[in-house]
Amino acid sequence: MARTEQQSNDKFAGRWFWRYAAPAAFYPLAGKIEKIGWVLAVVLAAIGLYMGFFVAPTDATQGEVYRVIFIHVPAAWMTMVIYLAMAFWAGTGLVLGTRLSFMMSHALAPTGAIMAVVALWTGSLWGRPTWGTYWVWDARITSTLILFFLYVGYMALSAAFDDKKKGDRASALIALVGAINVPIIYFSVKWWTTLHQGSSVRPGSSSMATTMLWAMLIMTFAFWAYCVAAAMHRLRTQIIEREAGAAWLDGATK
Amino acid sequence: MSLRAATGAVFRREMQLFARRKSDWANPIVFFLIVCSLFPFAVGSESEKLKLIGIGVIFVGALLASMLSLPRLFEEDARDGSLELMLASSEPLAVLILARITALSLGLGAALTVATPVFALFYALPFDVAGMLALSVALAVPTLLLIGAIAAALLVSARGGAILTAVLVLPLTIPTLIFGAGAALRVLNGQSPVAELALQGAFLLLALALCPLAAAAALKISTD
Repeated sequence: MARTEQQSNDKFAGRWFWRYAAPAAFYPLAGKIEKIGWVLAVVLAAIGLYMGFFVAPTDATQGEVYRVIFIHVPAAWMTMVIYLAMAFWAGTGLVLGTRLSFMMSHALAPTGAIMAVVALWTGSLWGRPTWGTYWVWDARITSTLILFFLYVGYMALSAAFDDKKKGDRASALIALVGAINVPIIYFSVKWWTTLHQGSSVRPGSSSMATTMLWAMLIMTFAFWAYCVAAAMHRLRTQIIEREAGAAWLDGATK
Repeated sequence: MSLRAATGAVFRREMQLFARRKSDWANPIVFFLIVCSLFPFAVGSESEKLKLIGIGVIFVGALLASMLSLPRLFEEDARDGSLELMLASSEPLAVLILARITALSLGLGAALTVATPVFALFYALPFDVAGMLALSVALAVPTLLLIGAIAAALLVSARGGAILTAVLVLPLTIPTLIFGAGAALRVLNGQSPVAELALQGAFLLLALALCPLAAAAALKISTD
C-alpha cells in the first residue's frame, strides 16, 4: 500500500493539486484544515451570535422571534451547498476513480443531513409563533425535507454493501441521480403550493437592516467553517479506517 | 445477433413470463385493492370525505404497487443466471434494460390502469375523474418503473431489499405524484388537466432518455 502511494506521488510530482488525491498526502493537510475550521467556527459563531442576539434591532413585525433566522437560514443554505458538494465529489470519484473523492462525499453526507434537520427544526419553531403552525407544506420546507430523504437514502445505500468499493460507486450514482432530480422536485413542489415569505437576501436590494445582514453573513461563514471542520474530521476517521495497516498511517497517527 | 433481435427476445421473454406467472400481475393488483380498501376504515365511510382523499389514495396505491414489482426486474434474473447473459451480450445494456422495462410497463401498467377506475368507485368519484385518474396512472407507471430500475439495479447485490428500494425511489417520484394526482384533481374541480398531463408526459420522456443509461451503469457497478 505504502509503495503505491509513493508511486502515485512520484507520477504526479509537480502537479501539487493531484498529489492530494492520495489519502496519504491529504491526511495531514485535512488535519490542518480541520483545526483552522474549528477555530473559525467558534470565533465567527461567537461574533455572529452576539451581533444577532444583542446588536441587531428587534424586527418591526415579528418581534424577537425572528432571531432564529441567524441559525435557520445558514443551516438551510448549508443543506443545499453540501448536497451539491457531495454530488460533485461523487461524480469526480466515478469519473477519475479516486477513492479519496468517495470518502469526501461520505464525509459530507451526515453533516448535510444534520443541517437539514437543524433547518427544519428551527423553521418549525419559528413557524409556530409567526404562522401559528409548526409545519406548513410549503415549497421550500418540503424540498428541504426531500433533500433530507435523499441524504438518508445515500447513506443507507452506501452502508448496504459488504464490498466498500461497490458501495462507494453505487451511492455516488444515486447522489448524481438525486442532484439531477433536486431542481425538478423543487419546481414541482413550488408549483404545487407556496406560502413561504419571499427571499429576504438578494444582491443589490436587501430588505434587512445592515446589522441583521452582517450577523447572518457571519453566521453563514461560521456554519461553513463548522461543516468543513466536521467533514474533515470524518474524512480523517475514514482514511484511518480504510487504510488500516498502511505503513504511512503508523507514522501519521503517532 | 442483431440489436433488434436481442431486444425483441428480451421483450418477448418478459411478456411470456408475465403471461405465464399470473402472480406477477395478480399480486400487485390485490395489494393495490387492499391498500385502497384500508383507508375508509381509518377515515370513516362518509362519501364526501372519501371523495376528497380518493384520488390521492388511489394514486399512492398504484405507486406502491408498481414499486413492489421492482425486484422482478433484476433480482430473479440474477438468481437464475439470465442476468449474466444479458450483461455478457454484445448489445448495449441500456437498450436491453429499456426493453425489459417497456415489457413490464405494458403488462403491469395495463393491469393497474384497468383496476384504477374500478377502485375509484370505492371513493364515490365521478366517471370523468376516474377516467382521468386511469390515464394518469397509465402515464405514471412507466416513469416510476424507469426511475425505480436504477435503484433495483443497484440493489441486486446489496442488503436491505424492499425497504431500501422504497427509501431510494419514493422521494424521486414526488413530481410524478404531484402532477399525476393533480390532473385528476383538476377534473374533479371542473378545470382543464392539460398542463398536468403535459408535464407528466415531459417527465416520462426525460426518464425514458436518462434512466436506462443510469440503470445500465448501476447494473455494471453492482454486478462488478
